[in-house]
Amino acid sequence: MTTPTKTVQPYRSALHPTRAGFGRLLRAEWTKFWTVRAWLLVLAVAAVVTVVISQMGASGSTTGGGPPVVVGPGGEVVNDSFRFTHRTLTGDGTITARVTGLKDASGKGLGPWTKAGIIVKSSLKQGSPYVAVMATPAHGVRMQWNFTHDTAGPSSDLAKAPQWLRLKRLGGKLTGYASVDGEKWTQLGEVGVGGMRGTVQVGLFLAAPVHEIVHRSFGGTSEVAGSGQATGTFDRLTFQGKSTAGGWTDTDIGAPTADGPNSQPGTTTVSPTGTYTLTGQGDIAPDENSPDTVQMSFQGVFMGLLFMVALGTLFVTTEYKRGLIRTTFTATPSRLKVLAAKTTVIAAITFTTGLLATAIGFTLAQKTLRSNGFKSPEFPDLSLLENPALRAVVGSAVLLSLVAVLALSLGVVLRNSAGTIATVVVLVILPQILSFALPLPVAQWLLRVTPAAAFAVQQGVTYYPQVQHNCLPESGCYPLSPYNGLAVLVAYAAAALLLAAWTVRRRDA
Amino acid sequence: MRWRGSLHALHAEWTKLRTLPSTWWLLVATVALTAAMGAAAASSLTTRVCPTPTACHEDTVKLALTGVQLSQAVCLVLGALSIGAEYGTGTIRTTLTAMPGRWRVLASKAAALSLLTSAAGVLAVLSALGLARLILPTPPPVDGAMFRAAGGSILVLVLVTLLGLSLATLLRDTSGAITLGLGILYVVPVLSHVVNSPTWQHRLQRWAPMPAGLSIQATKNLAGLAIGPWAGLGVLAAYAVGLLVVGGTAFRLRDA
Amino acid sequence: MSHTTGATDAAEATIEVRDLRKRFGRTLAVDGLSFTVEPGTVTGFVGPNGAGKSTTMRTVLGLDAPDSGQALIGGRPYHALRTPLLEVGALLDAAALHPSRRGRDHLRWLAHSHGLPMRRVDEVLEQVGMEQASRRRAGGYSLGMRQRLGIAAALLGDPPVLLLDEPVNGLDPEGIQWIRTLLRHLASEGRAILVSSHLMSELEDTADHLVVIGRGRLIADTAVADLLTAASGDRVRLRTSSRTEAMELLAREGGTVAVIDRDTLTVTGLPAERIVELLGASRVPFAEVGAHRATLEEAYMELTRDAVEFTSTPASDADEVTR
Repeated sequence: MTTPTKTVQPYRSALHPTRAGFGRLLRAEWTKFWTVRAWLLVLAVAAVVTVVISQMGASGSTTGGGPPVVVGPGGEVVNDSFRFTHRTLTGDGTITARVTGLKDASGKGLGPWTKAGIIVKSSLKQGSPYVAVMATPAHGVRMQWNFTHDTAGPSSDLAKAPQWLRLKRLGGKLTGYASVDGEKWTQLGEVGVGGMRGTVQVGLFLAAPVHEIVHRSFGGTSEVAGSGQATGTFDRLTFQGKSTAGGWTDTDIGAPTADGPNSQPGTTTVSPTGTYTLTGQGDIAPDENSPDTVQMSFQGVFMGLLFMVALGTLFVTTEYKRGLIRTTFTATPSRLKVLAAKTTVIAAITFTTGLLATAIGFTLAQKTLRSNGFKSPEFPDLSLLENPALRAVVGSAVLLSLVAVLALSLGVVLRNSAGTIATVVVLVILPQILSFALPLPVAQWLLRVTPAAAFAVQQGVTYYPQVQHNCLPESGCYPLSPYNGLAVLVAYAAAALLLAAWTVRRRDA
Repeated sequence: MRWRGSLHALHAEWTKLRTLPSTWWLLVATVALTAAMGAAAASSLTTRVCPTPTACHEDTVKLALTGVQLSQAVCLVLGALSIGAEYGTGTIRTTLTAMPGRWRVLASKAAALSLLTSAAGVLAVLSALGLARLILPTPPPVDGAMFRAAGGSILVLVLVTLLGLSLATLLRDTSGAITLGLGILYVVPVLSHVVNSPTWQHRLQRWAPMPAGLSIQATKNLAGLAIGPWAGLGVLAAYAVGLLVVGGTAFRLRDA
Repeated sequence: MSHTTGATDAAEATIEVRDLRKRFGRTLAVDGLSFTVEPGTVTGFVGPNGAGKSTTMRTVLGLDAPDSGQALIGGRPYHALRTPLLEVGALLDAAALHPSRRGRDHLRWLAHSHGLPMRRVDEVLEQVGMEQASRRRAGGYSLGMRQRLGIAAALLGDPPVLLLDEPVNGLDPEGIQWIRTLLRHLASEGRAILVSSHLMSELEDTADHLVVIGRGRLIADTAVADLLTAASGDRVRLRTSSRTEAMELLAREGGTVAVIDRDTLTVTGLPAERIVELLGASRVPFAEVGAHRATLEEAYMELTRDAVEFTSTPASDADEVTR
């Protein structure tokens, strides 16, 4: 060293070293955010746009009020119409029958959920509580009660062998059995259903839901109605118990009204050998075809999302563009901590704003929808603090926040705002647009594997497995359940975050 | 003299675009995405759905050109970057010092972009249709409708590029222009599907630039369209050109 | 341990670069560079554009990972520092500001990242004379204001080590004088300061020590005084109206004489006292005799003659290696 050795006392910082804890880092990143006026503005615009577009979407939606709806014991809208050969039962009792055949009566093919079986129903009124055991063409033996409950029994094929069914009423309990030979019985389930005291109706029933075969092309969607009428044959009908009337009566529950285009009255014939042949239509199941008033209240989220993407992206790409990232990394050499702090801050900001916007947007949109004819009981009143509304409101806010995190992570990887914004928006929105037009299997696949799946969280309708349903994207149906759909986006955001963590550590700043 | 000046301006803009590596990446992406997505969409079609060309429900030409829905986003970015990047770096002042005629600058940019995008568009559409012919069980017939769909798709890409240019000129910011552009292109059509009102659906389908513009791709079931093929393309063109005029006026009146 | 303050746990406030190597693609930006910046000195880090100064500084700050070698602050790599702003202050690129953030807010987030009080922000703003301007958005700042804000950011943690990349760039003459005084003052407090520049003249009267690099290699690591002495040699400068006589006389006495202009000569090989004595004895009139003092610029030109990568590059702040 040529430097003359001076006797210098090395300087010591007069400031107290405060450990660069994560809380301080969060505070620094938050300060970075709120000190850029344009970002606060974008955030406000995002919230306003979300509310306004949701409101516009809601006011554009009207309903004329169709035929009066049937509401099941759980308050949900249900289909409850079937051919019923019945008698009364007071007190304990058992009904047993053998289903020998089930075939199409309309010439359009047998629906997979056509039901032939025995039922105990509290009254002949539509929507009243019931318990039933039944054979179906494609789903084996089932025990179902009160519309929304479904238990699978043994998988049997009616085409090969007849199916024995039994329902036993003992005290407040109903027990369903199935058997292949009428001797060895398998218990399907035991339920206590409310509203089934005193005298109830028991008997054979047949229901044939309309199943739609959907053809889809760029020219539009065509739906071909499949069978809406079926014939079931039963024999070995036995009844034990106290009945007021002596014999069997036939009723079309939810008798076809004049407005049903293909409505035909059901028939019941009894052969001398004791074979009962029931022909009928209808279904005993939840109705999933009414518009989803929950989902209809969140249309602004599509637009709000754009701004969240822009915010998430710019929060990091501007630092790269200006070289500010070097200042950041000089102040905090642990880059993963910086990434974590940035992610936390942007996630918190977008979630909070999103939650405010979706909660207000939902409340206003609900008001508008109610005044546009979406009224109870067909459209039950929704409470913001109960599912599915709560799930949709919070879920949409989570969606907005995850999209911002996805954008931020991708921004770290690409370091370029134009590319990042375009990629994220295309990734989230384009699958929706394509799903409206592409052939159905591809469309549903897209809505399963792309971040667009997350919009499932806005669905208010519960899709029950015991209802055959063509999940059409244009009717707002997402193939995944709300939470699974959101999980897809979580997976995308997490993967992008990992990639960002890997690149930010590896690359020079 | 005037046209010579314009030619010089065009040459300058052409050089600027040409020497930007991002331009080439974006053009390659346009071709690749159009072709790849068209091929993917075409291979989603089975003989069960389309046994013969006549018994086919599907509009196979439109299906093969699905990729345009994706690659138009790339074109939007290309258009927005062509002037947004100049604002971002301050090069715009150099440009305007060298060529004070602002309308001329913008027109030259638009012309250079159109040239490049249409070249890329031709490649993109040809490769998408070519791949579809190889993949589809029943290739669509080569007819006037197909030429309209193919040519129209190229025009859609060019017009979307111009839309990006006009938005970026108006906003003087790439990110803002891209966000707004993507909103117009993608979010409005989504809304048009989820609004539970047939009247509004029909209106949005007719007057939103993307659904209207892409109706040019239809070769079947034309009666079912919300707006005719050429009229639809006209709607998109009206947006692009209208915004370009608005952007140009702002560009002319504002300080650089 | 609970009573530790500042950089006590660091052995000494120094910057050490040991055998540093960094390559960007085909360009070898830094090639086996070693030097040390001692406390209490202003070390000038000099080299032509593209010599690797910024890369070295980025590596010291842990922003670029070296291919081999080490860069240490007080004996530790940068990423091992727990409170970096209290140990190292850095100004890399004064333009690295968000245009719509106020200058004060820029310091505010930096302060928050270390839990420093807002009082400290006001102190440094006052120190650099930016109290008023810091309330405006950074987009409207002149280059000089940005430099001042950047220096304020570097001083925020009151660090014992400072790294300033081209801090003089864009400052007006008054600003240049200000920063010289500031740097001298900071060094006198015992801080180790590394100041890079591509113009040696900017470091005149400021630097005590020089690290000169070219094409990523060390050319000189020397005290400014030593460098000047070496460059000045033992030359004596003589002003006389009788040039020819003086030349003849001094050459005869063993001196080597060179003509600078019509009445100025430089003499090598004879001490000044001897020259005065000789001229006086021979009655050759002279106006002035004195030791010749080389400028730092001359010394530098001599050093870097072989190492200049871009000859005749106009002075610019572009010391970036394009990646």
